[in-house]
Amino acid sequence: MEKLLNELPSSDVAAYTIKSDIKIDVKVPEHLKRSISLGLPSITENNLLRHFTNLSRKNYALSTVFYPLGSCTMKHNPLINERIVKSEAFNSIHPYQPTESLQGAFEIMYGLEKDLCELTGMDYFSLQQAAGAHGEFAGLLVIAKYFKSIKQSRTKIIIPDSAHGTNPASASLAGFEIISLKSESDGTVLPEKLKKILTSEVAAVMLTVPNTLGTFEKNILEISKIVHKNGSLLYYDGANLNAVMGIVKPGHMGFDVMHINLHKTFSAPHGGGGPGSGPIGVKSFLEPFIPIPRIEKNKSKFTLNYKKSESIGRLKSFFGNFHVILKAYIYIKALGGKGLVSVSEQAVLNANYMLARLRNKVDIPAGDRCMHEFVLSPKSLFRDNIKTLDVAKRLLDYNYYAPTIYFPLIVEEAIMIEPTETESKETLDTFIDILSKILFDEIIKEPQKIKEAPINTTVCRLNEVEAARNPILKWKKQ
Amino acid sequence: MNYISQNQKDKCDMLKVIGVNSVNELFDMIPNSLKVKKLNIYGEKTEQELLNYFANIALKNKIFVSFRGAGIYDHYIPSLVDEVIGRSEFLTAYTPYQAEASQGTLQTIFEYQSLICSLTGLDVSNASLYDGATAVAEAALLSLKVNSKKNTILISQALHPEYIQTIRTYLENSRAKIIMLDISLDGSIKESSVEAAVNNNDIAAAIIQSPNYFGIIENMQALSCVIKKSGALFIAVVNPISLGVFQAPGEYNADIAVGEGQVLGSPMSFGGTTLGFMVVKKSLEWKMPGRIVGQTTDKNGKRGFVLTLQSREQHIRRERATSNICTNASLNALAACVFLSGWGNHGFKNLAETNMSKAKYAFNKIKSLNGFKAKFKDAVFFNEFVIETKKNIKMINKILLKNSILGPLDLSGTSEFFKNCILFCVTEQRTKCEIDRCIKILSEI
Repeated sequence: MEKLLNELPSSDVAAYTIKSDIKIDVKVPEHLKRSISLGLPSITENNLLRHFTNLSRKNYALSTVFYPLGSCTMKHNPLINERIVKSEAFNSIHPYQPTESLQGAFEIMYGLEKDLCELTGMDYFSLQQAAGAHGEFAGLLVIAKYFKSIKQSRTKIIIPDSAHGTNPASASLAGFEIISLKSESDGTVLPEKLKKILTSEVAAVMLTVPNTLGTFEKNILEISKIVHKNGSLLYYDGANLNAVMGIVKPGHMGFDVMHINLHKTFSAPHGGGGPGSGPIGVKSFLEPFIPIPRIEKNKSKFTLNYKKSESIGRLKSFFGNFHVILKAYIYIKALGGKGLVSVSEQAVLNANYMLARLRNKVDIPAGDRCMHEFVLSPKSLFRDNIKTLDVAKRLLDYNYYAPTIYFPLIVEEAIMIEPTETESKETLDTFIDILSKILFDEIIKEPQKIKEAPINTTVCRLNEVEAARNPILKWKKQ
Repeated sequence: MNYISQNQKDKCDMLKVIGVNSVNELFDMIPNSLKVKKLNIYGEKTEQELLNYFANIALKNKIFVSFRGAGIYDHYIPSLVDEVIGRSEFLTAYTPYQAEASQGTLQTIFEYQSLICSLTGLDVSNASLYDGATAVAEAALLSLKVNSKKNTILISQALHPEYIQTIRTYLENSRAKIIMLDISLDGSIKESSVEAAVNNNDIAAAIIQSPNYFGIIENMQALSCVIKKSGALFIAVVNPISLGVFQAPGEYNADIAVGEGQVLGSPMSFGGTTLGFMVVKKSLEWKMPGRIVGQTTDKNGKRGFVLTLQSREQHIRRERATSNICTNASLNALAACVFLSGWGNHGFKNLAETNMSKAKYAFNKIKSLNGFKAKFKDAVFFNEFVIETKKNIKMINKILLKNSILGPLDLSGTSEFFKNCILFCVTEQRTKCEIDRCIKILSEI
């Protein structure tokens, strides 16, 4: 067990100190002065280094194991991205420097906007949003503002029940009511069903393509037609863009607004939960509404435009998560158009290969083909009270991170697998071998092993119920 | 570059197992009319080419000796911070859904939460939000949920302008109204102006920043009394380093403390990536947005950490979640954790005092220069201060830039009140020599 920071030996001299070359007394009036202890530990660098290094080793990470976490696109994070981002010219610039001294940063952002337009068939991009959900929120605000501008009262958003939880949460935050659409067993949307709930109050329909079951929305052109005929807009959740780069463009399918997760498709590492970046793309009729400031190019000079009277405004301070934006741009420049196409081709090939090795053995609600990910429903194989959670934990014992589980919600005991394009055939094969061993062999012969998993991790199965019932959310004072 | 590891034989074998002849067949459900012919994106650069390509772009950014803050600050970052956040085990992990395989991330977030609670004197911290602006906006949303019958948010006019804009965007389609609290002549928010505003009984929360956008330490204790009396929540927006010296939000009975965590170990990096922090009173923990890590035990009684109170969140509660946030700023929170872990109480206080004394030194010198004077004579400030000048502000900054100095922020556009005003920032990073050089240049303008 790794001690907590406040349990490490306290030293007289802490790891960091600061010395001032200016000696003047600063008097803080008593009533403004801090009187409670700061409660900070005092630890040597040696002990801190060991502490954090030892903790890092308790993580399964992409750099150490296969991470088939569905919907999260855990692809290799190229090292060159990190190297370039560390350069002082990208690290030590202040957002309020004069624009003439930030031309490099603007060139990157402008360049990325343009490449994303080409990739998606949208006309404009805003890079300000800090994550996918933040992008959804911005996109939905754009939709709200658009309808306000044409004086239509549309208060509802249609979202299939297979969608990510962020979709309804973002729509609600943007002031909309949510109509949940029951999707088919493969997660797709039936145009006739959609038609029935499309009223004059519907502002937009949010779709993830391919959807969370890894299926392409084959009726997308018809869906687009009926949505637009109704005067509503179509929103593209780009969480699964890795499946279709250079294959099909959301803009061509009829989507009016979309977001992209740069930390998924464009190789920026996830950092244990962020930072991310969630650019939004729009068709030109929505351009007046996207966040300010906008980067504009006049001849070869980049400037900022804050004067967009119809814009939804600002989604966060400054210019977005520049580091993530830069990593995505480096990635695109590494691959180019051709490389990006091969990314999607390989991602889809890898997923279909894994699926083919499991088909006829495990229930696959979306059928025998998929795009970049697929969802298993192994319920019929379960016995002795074994559940998907147990299978996931058992995979940890074999040194794999577990796939996404219990999502999408419409699949019972779901196991959602996304291999990405950067994994070798050998990795895919051995993973399927192990998963098969657990599902077809251990379940019958050694159910107890699965129930008790994991045993090879630094802690055994943790009690989540207790954690929520009696929350301990910080260390106790020493 | 190409990050794909299959060779031709692998691909053929895989296609065979799938039972198709070509990769194209895997996309046959996509209407042909929609298929992309060609992607017009140039690239295909080797690693070496990328390095050179971006080095050339980097040349178009200029690095300065900075006397500018206004939300993003040049602070010293100890070597350990980069070492830890650069470790691929932290960098390339996802949100810690599988707790047993993510104890590194989970324990460090727990430690981050503990340190932030300690610093602010409040009870419960989340695992981070996107940045300072969105943290304040989320706090406003939280207060509207808690005070569900009240519709008005009071906001200090001395809150960072981009935070105000972000709150406005977040509340655009909600029921909430915003009332701004005017800045008094001494640069602070007065109890009397809060008193006048809280009279209408509809106030869900009041948002006050200290040090405020103009560097001034507000009398948070006095403001808190007035705000709390009205039943509104008190949202304190604070600079965590200033808490080394100044009263903690817990001491003046704030309900929520939020702010920008960039100062805790993240570089300026053009304003992103940073983190927002949020700490609340115990009674508000179930209303908190974002991830929270809790301590628990495994079946052998061994201590471990998990994501907890998850039924607040979007993946479970969907449209009824406390927030839509999913990805946050975990790596920057790790940087903050490492940053806070090695100062000790004395060192951290010393860090805050050094900011104050260096800023005070610069302030004393600049205000006595010909053509410059203090805008707020008696104000207590942390590391930023406002100077009024008769000189041409554009010219001042042009000359400073020529000398590789990023000068004060021009506040002229803020309002009539700040006409001819500039905002200086002096952190512990500025040496006496740099400050003196800046002052000398100013004296010659």
